[in-house]
Amino acid sequence: MLKIEDACIKFGETELFTGLCMHIKKGEIVCISGESGSGKTSLLNAIMGFVPLKSGTITVDDLLLCEANIDQIRKKIAWIPQELALPCEWVSEMIHLPFSLKANRGVHFSRKKLFETFKKLNLEEELYEKRVSEISGGQRQRIMIAVAALLEKPILIIDEPTSALDAVSVERVLNFFDELSQKGITILAVSHDRAFKLGCNNIIYL
Amino acid sequence: MGTIDISYWNLLIGLLMMGIPILYLWKFKTGLVKSTLIAVVRMLVQLFLIGVYLKYLFILNHPLINFFWVFIMVFVAAETALARTRIQRKVLLIPISIGFLISVVLIGTYFLGLVLELDNIFNAQYFIPIFGILMGNMLSVNVIGLNTYYSGLQREQQQYYYLLGNGATHQEAQAPFIRQALIKAFSPCIANMAVMGLVALPGTMIGQILGGSSPNVAIKYQMMIVVITFTASMLSIMITISIASRRSFDEFGRLIHVFKVNKKNG
Repeated sequence: MLKIEDACIKFGETELFTGLCMHIKKGEIVCISGESGSGKTSLLNAIMGFVPLKSGTITVDDLLLCEANIDQIRKKIAWIPQELALPCEWVSEMIHLPFSLKANRGVHFSRKKLFETFKKLNLEEELYEKRVSEISGGQRQRIMIAVAALLEKPILIIDEPTSALDAVSVERVLNFFDELSQKGITILAVSHDRAFKLGCNNIIYL
Repeated sequence: MGTIDISYWNLLIGLLMMGIPILYLWKFKTGLVKSTLIAVVRMLVQLFLIGVYLKYLFILNHPLINFFWVFIMVFVAAETALARTRIQRKVLLIPISIGFLISVVLIGTYFLGLVLELDNIFNAQYFIPIFGILMGNMLSVNVIGLNTYYSGLQREQQQYYYLLGNGATHQEAQAPFIRQALIKAFSPCIANMAVMGLVALPGTMIGQILGGSSPNVAIKYQMMIVVITFTASMLSIMITISIASRRSFDEFGRLIHVFKVNKKNG
Protein backbone atom coordinates (compact mmCIF):
# COMPACT_ATOMS: atom_id res chain seq x y z
CA MET A 1 0.00 0.00 0.00
CA LEU A 2 2.82 2.39 0.91
CA LYS A 3 6.39 1.90 -0.24
CA ILE A 4 9.37 4.08 0.58
CA GLU A 5 12.66 3.34 -1.15
CA ASP A 6 16.03 4.76 -0.18
CA ALA A 7 14.51 8.04 1.07
CA CYS A 8 16.57 10.96 2.29
CA ILE A 9 15.35 14.24 3.77
CA LYS A 10 17.74 17.12 4.15
CA PHE A 11 17.08 20.71 5.22
CA GLY A 12 20.04 22.83 4.20
CA GLU A 13 23.07 21.14 5.68
CA THR A 14 21.04 19.10 8.17
CA GLU A 15 20.31 15.57 7.06
CA LEU A 16 17.37 14.07 8.99
CA PHE A 17 17.72 10.54 7.62
CA THR A 18 19.04 8.76 4.57
CA GLY A 19 18.57 5.36 2.93
CA LEU A 20 15.17 4.86 4.57
CA CYS A 21 13.16 1.96 3.18
CA MET A 22 9.76 0.77 4.37
CA HIS A 23 6.91 -1.26 2.98
CA ILE A 24 3.51 -1.00 4.64
CA LYS A 25 0.85 -3.50 3.68
CA LYS A 26 -2.85 -2.89 3.33
CA GLY A 27 -4.61 -2.95 6.71
CA GLU A 28 -1.40 -2.64 8.71
CA ILE A 29 -1.04 -0.28 11.68
CA VAL A 30 2.48 1.14 11.70
CA CYS A 31 4.01 3.52 14.22
CA ILE A 32 7.03 5.66 13.46
CA SER A 33 9.06 6.49 16.51
CA GLY A 34 12.36 8.10 17.33
CA GLU A 35 13.99 11.00 19.08
CA SER A 36 12.85 14.59 18.59
CA GLY A 37 14.30 16.00 15.39
CA SER A 38 14.86 12.57 13.83
CA GLY A 39 12.49 13.43 10.97
CA LYS A 40 9.27 11.59 11.94
CA THR A 41 6.91 14.47 11.13
CA SER A 42 8.98 15.37 8.07
CA LEU A 43 8.56 11.80 6.81
CA LEU A 44 4.77 12.05 7.13
CA ASN A 45 4.90 15.46 5.42
CA ALA A 46 6.99 13.94 2.63
CA ILE A 47 4.37 11.23 2.07
CA MET A 48 1.76 14.02 1.84
CA GLY A 49 3.97 15.86 -0.68
CA PHE A 50 4.54 18.79 1.70
CA VAL A 51 8.28 18.16 2.18
CA PRO A 52 10.52 17.27 -0.77
CA LEU A 53 12.71 14.17 -0.67
CA LYS A 54 16.40 14.82 -1.30
CA SER A 55 16.57 11.37 -2.89
CA GLY A 56 14.53 8.17 -3.05
CA THR A 57 10.93 7.46 -3.96
CA ILE A 58 7.55 7.13 -2.30
CA THR A 59 4.80 5.00 -3.83
CA VAL A 60 1.24 5.11 -2.53
CA ASP A 61 -1.11 2.39 -3.78
CA ASP A 62 1.11 1.88 -6.86
CA LEU A 63 1.21 5.61 -7.62
CA LEU A 64 4.62 7.21 -7.59
CA LEU A 65 4.64 10.44 -5.58
CA CYS A 66 5.25 13.15 -8.17
CA GLU A 67 3.62 16.37 -9.40
CA ALA A 68 1.36 14.48 -11.78
CA ASN A 69 0.05 12.05 -9.15
CA ILE A 70 -0.05 14.18 -6.02
CA ASP A 71 -3.76 15.04 -6.23
CA GLN A 72 -4.73 11.40 -6.76
CA ILE A 73 -2.52 10.32 -3.86
CA ARG A 74 -4.00 12.92 -1.49
CA LYS A 75 -7.49 11.72 -2.37
CA LYS A 76 -6.57 8.30 -0.97
CA ILE A 77 -5.41 9.70 2.36
CA ALA A 78 -7.11 11.02 5.50
CA TRP A 79 -4.56 13.28 7.19
CA ILE A 80 -4.35 14.67 10.69
CA PRO A 81 -1.32 16.88 11.38
CA GLN A 82 0.26 17.35 14.79
CA GLU A 83 -1.67 19.54 17.26
CA LEU A 84 -4.29 20.38 14.68
CA ALA A 85 -6.06 23.62 15.61
CA LEU A 86 -8.40 24.79 12.87
CA PRO A 87 -9.70 28.35 13.00
CA CYS A 88 -13.31 27.20 13.52
CA GLU A 89 -15.61 28.54 16.21
CA TRP A 90 -17.87 25.49 16.45
CA VAL A 91 -17.04 21.78 16.73
CA SER A 92 -19.70 21.00 14.09
CA GLU A 93 -18.00 23.43 11.68
CA MET A 94 -14.63 21.72 12.30
CA ILE A 95 -16.18 18.29 11.69
CA HIS A 96 -17.88 19.28 8.44
CA LEU A 97 -14.84 21.02 6.92
CA PRO A 98 -13.33 18.05 4.99
CA PHE A 99 -16.76 16.74 3.93
CA SER A 100 -17.41 19.92 1.97
CA LEU A 101 -14.53 19.14 -0.41
CA LYS A 102 -15.34 17.85 -3.89
CA ALA A 103 -13.10 14.82 -3.36
CA ASN A 104 -15.15 13.75 -0.31
CA ARG A 105 -18.65 14.51 -1.55
CA GLY A 106 -19.16 10.84 -2.42
CA VAL A 107 -18.81 10.00 1.28
CA HIS A 108 -22.14 9.87 3.06
CA PHE A 109 -21.96 11.86 6.27
CA SER A 110 -24.62 11.45 8.90
CA ARG A 111 -24.83 12.44 12.53
CA LYS A 112 -25.84 8.85 13.32
CA LYS A 113 -22.57 7.52 11.90
CA LEU A 114 -20.62 10.30 13.62
CA PHE A 115 -22.16 9.60 17.02
CA GLU A 116 -21.54 5.86 16.64
CA THR A 117 -17.88 6.66 16.04
CA PHE A 118 -17.93 9.14 18.96
CA LYS A 119 -19.16 6.33 21.20
CA LYS A 120 -16.28 4.06 20.17
CA LEU A 121 -13.83 6.82 21.08
CA ASN A 122 -15.60 7.64 24.36
CA LEU A 123 -16.88 11.03 23.20
CA GLU A 124 -20.25 12.50 24.17
CA GLU A 125 -22.73 13.50 21.47
CA GLU A 126 -23.14 16.94 23.14
CA LEU A 127 -19.63 17.87 21.98
CA TYR A 128 -21.01 18.32 18.46
CA GLU A 129 -22.97 21.40 19.56
CA LYS A 130 -20.14 22.99 21.55
CA ARG A 131 -17.67 25.73 20.75
CA VAL A 132 -14.11 24.53 19.96
CA SER A 133 -12.87 26.65 22.90
CA GLU A 134 -15.09 24.60 25.26
CA ILE A 135 -13.54 21.20 24.49
CA SER A 136 -10.25 19.72 25.71
CA GLY A 137 -7.20 18.94 23.58
CA GLY A 138 -7.84 15.21 24.05
CA GLN A 139 -11.46 15.54 22.92
CA ARG A 140 -10.38 17.55 19.88
CA GLN A 141 -7.81 14.90 19.01
CA ARG A 142 -10.39 12.09 19.17
CA ILE A 143 -12.97 14.12 17.23
CA MET A 144 -10.47 14.59 14.41
CA ILE A 145 -9.73 10.83 14.45
CA ALA A 146 -13.48 10.17 14.14
CA VAL A 147 -13.71 12.62 11.22
CA ALA A 148 -10.71 11.05 9.48
CA ALA A 149 -12.26 7.58 9.83
CA LEU A 150 -15.60 8.77 8.44
CA LEU A 151 -13.84 10.03 5.30
CA GLU A 152 -13.48 6.31 4.43
CA LYS A 153 -10.06 6.70 2.82
CA PRO A 154 -7.82 3.63 2.33
CA ILE A 155 -4.95 5.26 4.25
CA LEU A 156 -4.99 7.19 7.52
CA ILE A 157 -1.88 9.24 8.31
CA ILE A 158 -1.79 10.81 11.73
CA ASP A 159 0.85 12.69 13.68
CA GLU A 160 0.84 12.09 17.45
CA PRO A 161 -2.73 10.76 17.77
CA THR A 162 -2.52 10.20 21.52
CA SER A 163 -0.32 13.05 22.78
CA ALA A 164 -3.18 14.58 24.81
CA LEU A 165 -4.83 11.31 25.90
CA ASP A 166 -4.87 9.31 29.13
CA ALA A 167 -4.16 5.56 29.18
CA VAL A 168 -7.84 4.57 28.90
CA SER A 169 -8.38 6.82 25.90
CA VAL A 170 -5.20 5.49 24.24
CA GLU A 171 -6.63 2.00 24.60
CA ARG A 172 -9.90 3.15 23.01
CA VAL A 173 -8.05 4.71 20.08
CA LEU A 174 -6.03 1.52 19.56
CA ASN A 175 -9.19 -0.60 19.57
CA PHE A 176 -10.73 1.81 17.09
CA PHE A 177 -7.66 1.61 14.83
CA ASP A 178 -7.82 -2.21 15.05
CA GLU A 179 -11.39 -2.08 13.84
CA LEU A 180 -10.37 0.18 10.91
CA SER A 181 -7.44 -2.07 9.99
CA GLN A 182 -9.78 -5.09 9.87
CA LYS A 183 -11.76 -3.16 7.25
CA GLY A 184 -8.54 -2.87 5.21
CA ILE A 185 -7.57 0.66 6.17
CA THR A 186 -3.83 1.22 6.47
CA ILE A 187 -2.76 3.41 9.40
CA LEU A 188 0.55 5.20 9.67
CA ALA A 189 1.14 7.19 12.84
CA VAL A 190 3.97 9.05 14.52
CA SER A 191 3.99 8.59 18.27
CA HIS A 192 6.16 8.79 21.37
CA ASP A 193 3.51 7.03 23.44
CA ARG A 194 4.84 3.65 24.62
CA ALA A 195 1.38 2.11 25.09
CA PHE A 196 0.31 3.23 21.65
CA LYS A 197 3.50 1.94 20.00
CA LEU A 198 3.06 -1.48 21.57
CA GLY A 199 -0.48 -1.72 20.23
CA CYS A 200 0.62 -1.23 16.62
CA ASN A 201 1.49 -4.07 14.22
CA ASN A 202 4.88 -2.66 13.41
CA ILE A 203 7.20 0.01 14.82
CA ILE A 204 9.76 1.83 12.69
CA TYR A 205 12.53 3.68 14.52
CA LEU A 206 14.11 6.68 12.88
CA MET B 1 -23.46 78.63 -12.03
CA GLY B 2 -19.65 78.28 -11.99
CA THR B 3 -17.23 77.15 -9.32
CA ILE B 4 -15.54 79.80 -7.14
CA ASP B 5 -11.78 79.60 -7.63
CA ILE B 6 -9.52 79.42 -4.55
CA SER B 7 -6.65 81.91 -4.67
CA TYR B 8 -3.19 80.79 -3.48
CA TRP B 9 -3.55 83.13 -0.49
CA ASN B 10 -6.88 81.50 0.45
CA LEU B 11 -5.36 78.08 -0.13
CA LEU B 12 -2.70 79.00 2.43
CA ILE B 13 -5.38 80.13 4.89
CA GLY B 14 -7.10 76.77 4.38
CA LEU B 15 -3.86 74.85 4.91
CA LEU B 16 -3.44 76.51 8.32
CA MET B 17 -6.14 74.11 9.57
CA MET B 18 -3.60 71.28 9.33
CA GLY B 19 -2.01 72.88 12.40
CA ILE B 20 -4.74 71.39 14.61
CA PRO B 21 -4.14 67.69 13.80
CA ILE B 22 -0.37 68.23 13.76
CA LEU B 23 -0.55 69.81 17.24
CA TYR B 24 -2.28 66.73 18.67
CA LEU B 25 0.07 64.36 16.84
CA TRP B 26 3.00 66.24 18.41
CA LYS B 27 1.45 66.52 21.91
CA PHE B 28 0.83 62.79 22.18
CA LYS B 29 4.30 61.91 20.81
CA THR B 30 2.83 59.76 18.04
CA GLY B 31 5.95 60.08 15.90
CA LEU B 32 3.69 60.97 12.98
CA VAL B 33 4.43 64.71 12.75
CA LYS B 34 7.28 64.34 10.27
CA SER B 35 5.44 61.85 8.06
CA THR B 36 2.31 64.06 8.11
CA LEU B 37 4.30 67.10 7.02
CA ILE B 38 6.01 65.09 4.26
CA ALA B 39 2.63 63.73 3.16
CA VAL B 40 1.12 67.23 3.01
CA VAL B 41 4.05 68.57 0.97
CA ARG B 42 3.92 65.53 -1.36
CA MET B 43 0.16 65.96 -1.80
CA LEU B 44 0.58 69.65 -2.71
CA VAL B 45 3.42 69.07 -5.16
CA GLN B 46 1.78 66.02 -6.78
CA LEU B 47 -1.58 67.74 -7.18
CA PHE B 48 -0.01 70.90 -8.62
CA LEU B 49 1.92 68.78 -11.12
CA ILE B 50 -1.15 66.71 -11.99
CA GLY B 51 -3.11 69.96 -12.41
CA VAL B 52 -0.60 71.17 -14.97
CA TYR B 53 -0.41 67.76 -16.67
CA LEU B 54 -4.19 67.34 -16.84
CA LYS B 55 -4.55 70.84 -18.29
CA TYR B 56 -2.39 69.83 -21.28
CA LEU B 57 -3.99 66.37 -21.43
CA PHE B 58 -7.40 68.06 -21.81
CA ILE B 59 -6.08 70.49 -24.44
CA LEU B 60 -4.46 67.73 -26.52
CA ASN B 61 -7.36 65.29 -25.93
CA HIS B 62 -5.67 62.52 -27.97
CA PRO B 63 -6.79 58.89 -27.40
CA LEU B 64 -3.23 57.54 -27.49
CA ILE B 65 -1.95 60.08 -24.98
CA ASN B 66 -4.95 59.41 -22.74
CA PHE B 67 -4.31 55.68 -22.93
CA PHE B 68 -0.63 56.22 -22.22
CA TRP B 69 -1.73 58.02 -19.05
CA VAL B 70 -3.70 54.89 -18.05
CA PHE B 71 -0.55 52.78 -18.42
CA ILE B 72 1.31 55.21 -16.18
CA MET B 73 -1.48 55.00 -13.59
CA VAL B 74 -1.39 51.18 -13.72
CA PHE B 75 2.39 51.17 -13.32
CA VAL B 76 2.34 53.60 -10.38
CA ALA B 77 -0.56 51.74 -8.72
CA ALA B 78 1.25 48.39 -9.11
CA GLU B 79 4.45 49.84 -7.61
CA THR B 80 2.46 51.34 -4.72
CA ALA B 81 0.75 48.00 -4.08
CA LEU B 82 4.16 46.26 -4.07
CA ALA B 83 5.49 48.73 -1.50
CA ARG B 84 2.42 48.57 0.73
CA THR B 85 1.96 44.78 0.72
CA ARG B 86 5.68 43.90 0.92
CA ILE B 87 5.04 40.99 -1.46
CA GLN B 88 7.93 40.07 -3.73
CA ARG B 89 8.04 41.80 -7.11
CA LYS B 90 8.37 38.48 -9.02
CA VAL B 91 5.16 37.21 -7.40
CA LEU B 92 2.94 40.29 -7.65
CA LEU B 93 4.05 42.83 -10.26
CA ILE B 94 2.70 41.14 -13.41
CA PRO B 95 -0.52 39.76 -11.84
CA ILE B 96 -1.54 43.06 -10.27
CA SER B 97 -0.68 45.05 -13.42
CA ILE B 98 -2.81 42.68 -15.52
CA GLY B 99 -5.60 42.81 -12.91
CA PHE B 100 -5.63 46.61 -12.86
CA LEU B 101 -5.39 47.02 -16.64
CA ILE B 102 -8.11 44.50 -17.57
CA SER B 103 -10.52 45.77 -14.89
CA VAL B 104 -10.05 49.47 -15.56
CA VAL B 105 -10.39 49.04 -19.34
CA LEU B 106 -13.41 46.71 -19.16
CA ILE B 107 -15.40 48.60 -16.54
CA GLY B 108 -14.30 52.07 -17.65
CA THR B 109 -15.22 51.56 -21.32
CA TYR B 110 -18.49 49.80 -20.33
CA PHE B 111 -19.50 52.85 -18.30
CA LEU B 112 -18.36 55.45 -20.83
CA GLY B 113 -19.66 53.56 -23.86
CA LEU B 114 -22.86 51.91 -22.66
CA VAL B 115 -24.02 54.00 -19.71
CA LEU B 116 -22.92 57.51 -20.71
CA GLU B 117 -23.15 56.61 -24.42
CA LEU B 118 -20.27 58.94 -25.32
CA ASP B 119 -19.51 59.31 -29.01
CA ASN B 120 -15.84 59.39 -28.14
CA ILE B 121 -15.11 57.29 -25.05
CA PHE B 122 -11.51 58.57 -25.05
CA ASN B 123 -12.69 62.12 -24.42
CA ALA B 124 -10.25 63.28 -21.72
CA GLN B 125 -12.91 65.11 -19.69
CA TYR B 126 -14.60 61.76 -18.91
CA PHE B 127 -11.90 59.20 -19.67
CA ILE B 128 -9.23 60.53 -17.29
CA PRO B 129 -11.35 61.15 -14.15
CA ILE B 130 -13.33 57.90 -14.51
CA PHE B 131 -10.24 55.75 -15.07
CA GLY B 132 -8.51 57.65 -12.24
CA ILE B 133 -11.25 57.04 -9.70
CA LEU B 134 -11.36 53.35 -10.68
CA MET B 135 -7.59 53.02 -10.22
CA GLY B 136 -7.65 54.69 -6.80
CA ASN B 137 -10.37 52.40 -5.48
CA MET B 138 -8.85 49.27 -6.99
CA LEU B 139 -5.51 50.07 -5.37
CA SER B 140 -6.85 50.38 -1.82
CA VAL B 141 -9.04 47.26 -2.14
CA ASN B 142 -6.15 45.24 -3.60
CA VAL B 143 -3.73 46.29 -0.87
CA ILE B 144 -6.15 45.26 1.91
CA GLY B 145 -7.24 42.10 0.10
CA LEU B 146 -3.76 40.88 -0.83
CA ASN B 147 -2.39 41.58 2.65
CA THR B 148 -5.25 39.60 4.20
CA TYR B 149 -4.92 36.75 1.71
CA TYR B 150 -1.16 36.24 2.06
CA SER B 151 -0.89 36.91 5.78
CA GLY B 152 -3.82 34.50 6.32
CA LEU B 153 -2.04 31.80 4.33
CA GLN B 154 1.14 32.36 6.35
CA ARG B 155 -0.65 32.40 9.72
CA GLU B 156 -3.11 29.57 9.08
CA GLN B 157 -0.84 27.27 7.10
CA GLN B 158 -2.11 24.32 9.10
CA GLN B 159 -5.65 24.83 7.82
CA TYR B 160 -4.41 25.15 4.23
CA TYR B 161 -2.36 21.95 4.46
CA TYR B 162 -5.12 20.10 6.36
CA LEU B 163 -7.54 20.78 3.51
CA LEU B 164 -4.97 19.94 0.84
CA GLY B 165 -3.97 16.76 2.68
CA ASN B 166 -7.59 15.60 2.85
CA GLY B 167 -8.21 15.81 -0.87
CA ALA B 168 -8.93 19.50 -1.48
CA THR B 169 -8.08 20.97 -4.85
CA HIS B 170 -5.75 23.93 -4.74
CA GLN B 171 -8.73 26.24 -5.31
CA GLU B 172 -10.65 24.65 -2.41
CA ALA B 173 -7.67 24.84 -0.05
CA GLN B 174 -7.15 28.56 -0.69
CA ALA B 175 -10.88 29.43 -0.75
CA PRO B 176 -11.08 30.28 3.02
CA PHE B 177 -8.25 32.78 2.55
CA ILE B 178 -9.83 34.39 -0.51
CA ARG B 179 -13.09 34.60 1.47
CA GLN B 180 -11.33 36.45 4.31
CA ALA B 181 -9.59 38.77 1.84
CA LEU B 182 -12.89 39.70 0.21
CA ILE B 183 -14.63 40.22 3.56
CA LYS B 184 -11.89 42.52 4.82
CA ALA B 185 -11.46 44.44 1.57
CA PHE B 186 -15.13 44.97 0.77
CA SER B 187 -16.74 45.39 4.20
CA PRO B 188 -15.83 49.12 4.36
CA CYS B 189 -17.17 49.66 0.80
CA ILE B 190 -20.45 47.91 1.66
CA ALA B 191 -20.80 49.89 4.92
CA ASN B 192 -20.16 53.16 3.05
CA MET B 193 -22.63 52.24 0.34
CA ALA B 194 -25.32 51.47 2.92
CA VAL B 195 -25.11 54.91 4.59
CA MET B 196 -24.34 56.95 1.47
CA GLY B 197 -26.22 60.22 1.49
CA LEU B 198 -27.27 59.79 5.14
CA VAL B 199 -24.07 59.87 7.18
CA ALA B 200 -21.88 61.53 4.57
CA LEU B 201 -22.25 63.11 1.19
CA PRO B 202 -19.92 61.34 -1.22
CA GLY B 203 -17.03 63.04 -3.01
CA THR B 204 -18.16 62.74 -6.63
CA MET B 205 -21.57 64.17 -5.79
CA ILE B 206 -20.09 67.10 -3.85
CA GLY B 207 -17.62 67.75 -6.68
CA GLN B 208 -20.38 67.84 -9.26
CA ILE B 209 -22.63 70.09 -7.18
CA LEU B 210 -19.72 72.47 -6.54
CA GLY B 211 -18.99 72.33 -10.28
CA GLY B 212 -22.50 73.56 -11.02
CA SER B 213 -24.38 70.33 -11.80
CA SER B 214 -27.91 69.85 -10.54
CA PRO B 215 -28.27 67.46 -7.58
CA ASN B 216 -30.36 65.16 -9.81
CA VAL B 217 -27.43 64.65 -12.20
CA ALA B 218 -24.94 64.47 -9.33
CA ILE B 219 -26.74 61.62 -7.54
CA LYS B 220 -26.94 59.53 -10.73
CA TYR B 221 -23.21 59.94 -11.31
CA GLN B 222 -22.58 59.06 -7.69
CA MET B 223 -24.65 55.87 -7.97
CA MET B 224 -22.74 54.81 -11.06
CA ILE B 225 -19.36 55.67 -9.52
CA VAL B 226 -20.14 53.42 -6.54
CA VAL B 227 -21.19 50.58 -8.84
CA ILE B 228 -18.21 50.81 -11.20
CA THR B 229 -15.61 51.19 -8.42
CA PHE B 230 -17.11 48.21 -6.55
CA THR B 231 -17.19 46.05 -9.67
CA ALA B 232 -13.75 47.02 -10.92
CA SER B 233 -12.24 46.45 -7.47
CA MET B 234 -13.77 42.97 -7.29
CA LEU B 235 -12.69 42.08 -10.80
CA SER B 236 -9.14 43.32 -10.26
CA ILE B 237 -8.58 41.51 -6.97
CA MET B 238 -9.94 38.24 -8.38
CA ILE B 239 -7.73 38.50 -11.49
CA THR B 240 -4.70 39.45 -9.37
CA ILE B 241 -5.18 36.59 -6.89
CA SER B 242 -5.84 34.01 -9.58
CA ILE B 243 -2.65 34.93 -11.47
CA ALA B 244 -0.52 35.61 -8.37
CA SER B 245 -1.51 32.30 -6.75
CA ARG B 246 0.10 30.45 -9.67
CA ARG B 247 3.38 32.08 -8.63
CA SER B 248 2.83 31.63 -4.88
CA PHE B 249 2.72 27.83 -4.70
CA ASP B 250 4.93 25.12 -6.13
CA GLU B 251 3.71 22.16 -8.18
CA PHE B 252 2.89 20.23 -4.96
CA GLY B 253 0.75 23.09 -3.65
CA ARG B 254 3.33 24.21 -1.07
CA LEU B 255 3.31 27.91 -0.28
CA ILE B 256 6.56 29.58 -1.28
CA HIS B 257 7.99 32.65 0.48
CA VAL B 258 6.06 35.55 -0.96
CA PHE B 259 6.99 38.39 1.38
CA LYS B 260 10.14 40.45 0.95
CA VAL B 261 12.87 39.55 3.41
CA ASN B 262 13.56 42.33 5.92
CA LYS B 263 17.17 43.40 5.69
CA LYS B 264 18.73 43.84 9.11
CA ASN B 265 20.33 47.17 9.77
CA GLY B 266 24.10 46.83 10.04
